[in-house]
Amino acid sequence: MERDGSMTDSVVMRASDLENWSTGAPDGARVRNAPAGDIEVVDLNAWFGNHRALRDVNLSINGRAVTAIIGPSGCGKSTLVRCLNRMHEEVRGARVEGKVLFDGRDIYAPDVDPVEIRRRIGMVFQRPNPFPTMSVLDNAVAGLKLVGGLSRSELRERGEWALRAAGLWEEVKDRLHEPGARLSGGQQQRLCIARALAVEPEVLLMDEPASALDPASTLRIEELVQELKERYTVVIVTHNMQQAARVSDWTLFMLYGEVVEFGPTSKLFTRPDDQRTEDYVTGRFG
Amino acid sequence: MPAIRSHFHEELDALELDILAMGELAERSVGRAVEALARNDRDEVEAVVAGDDEIDARYLSVEQRIVELLALQTPVASDLRLITSMLHVNLHLERIGDMAVNIAKTTRSILDLPSSGAILAHIQEMSDVVRPMIRTAMEAFRTRDLDLCLRLPAMDDPVDRLNLGMYKEVAALAGDPDALNWGLRMILIARQLERVGDHAVDIGEQIGFLLTGEFREFTDASHPVHLTPDAG
Repeated sequence: MERDGSMTDSVVMRASDLENWSTGAPDGARVRNAPAGDIEVVDLNAWFGNHRALRDVNLSINGRAVTAIIGPSGCGKSTLVRCLNRMHEEVRGARVEGKVLFDGRDIYAPDVDPVEIRRRIGMVFQRPNPFPTMSVLDNAVAGLKLVGGLSRSELRERGEWALRAAGLWEEVKDRLHEPGARLSGGQQQRLCIARALAVEPEVLLMDEPASALDPASTLRIEELVQELKERYTVVIVTHNMQQAARVSDWTLFMLYGEVVEFGPTSKLFTRPDDQRTEDYVTGRFG
Repeated sequence: MPAIRSHFHEELDALELDILAMGELAERSVGRAVEALARNDRDEVEAVVAGDDEIDARYLSVEQRIVELLALQTPVASDLRLITSMLHVNLHLERIGDMAVNIAKTTRSILDLPSSGAILAHIQEMSDVVRPMIRTAMEAFRTRDLDLCLRLPAMDDPVDRLNLGMYKEVAALAGDPDALNWGLRMILIARQLERVGDHAVDIGEQIGFLLTGEFREFTDASHPVHLTPDAG
């Protein structure tokens, strides 16, 4: 399969590029030398064998904002998010129809490398899954090592940057060579976020990233999400509606594999348009 | 799918019933206060003052329960709008109860002074408008009727006019010190009734917010003329 040059050679932010951020836009918005990170989902359908998990999903996810996906169990939240970086197709019998345009290019186009897509659109899972025997630092740069081409000192630098970006550096800077499994659950999850950030993605997909964590660790992750949206497009799947309300700018409510309502979080939680959204967020059904 | 917050919604229903009951108490208290004035009835004056304890107790209970629901249940969407509306309506009703007490206490201070039948009729006329305003606002709440809310500013217009007309009538009493003393208290009472009308309009605004999710002032105190909701 031939790789598309514009996709693989597109500008990817390096750690040093962080220094080059500016607020030169007239409205004060931050700009950088990278795509906006917008995602457009067009007529997306997904199946597990004969089971249709997503039905004609259409939506526009804004770059550098947090979009929360809520809905009852089995509504297709995780399937949708896994379609956004081509993870869904990794499941045996799973398939996808439709388009996911990332900065205007269909990630399902035949010439697109799914591995490259997953680097640009990273994912953090429900349970922290650091490599248990690998050191904290090696965990942070595990993805970079797979890519190769970086010296030890460069890896160290990028690891520190990623750990700082994940809000973990101060807690682990003296424990960089301890096994990742020795960290607390919340620290392990932030280590996984650091690992995802180290490969310099443009989008971070988070599938229930705090559901296995205690309340304090949950709030730290939520704070981190607020910081990350300055640089990344964040899509977070959550069962916790209050978490969606706290962390997101946009909320998508799904039911039976369909999009019921998608809009500004403040509106969806104060005066939703659709009665089904109203009934779900107020707990009239669940 | 099953309802999963039935306890929370039952508590919301109970709060709504308590606030509707408070509306009846507050409206009745205003009526009794004006009746005590008209009949120069000391016992009725004291009954109005004592009766406010029940309104205050209900107010505190409702407020406490609402704060608990906010803290414990994190309401959203229509539940959030209902709770914030009830928080405001509760306070408006408590203030209406206080105004009935103010009318009663003012009456208590002038029981022995000569009165004017024309001015008493004027006060009664104001009462006959503001009490239906309270009932209208609470009915709009009970039935979730936006059109009913929107009638309140127009209902309030004659109250404002009657209140302004009171000054001229009292000025006519200037030749008799005792009558003027009584008349000046009538200005205070008219002012209380005018404020009751304003609270009824404010309750209507809260119901408007509950129903539409948008808060709009039906009238603007900083401008001499009413703004209709549609005029923004």
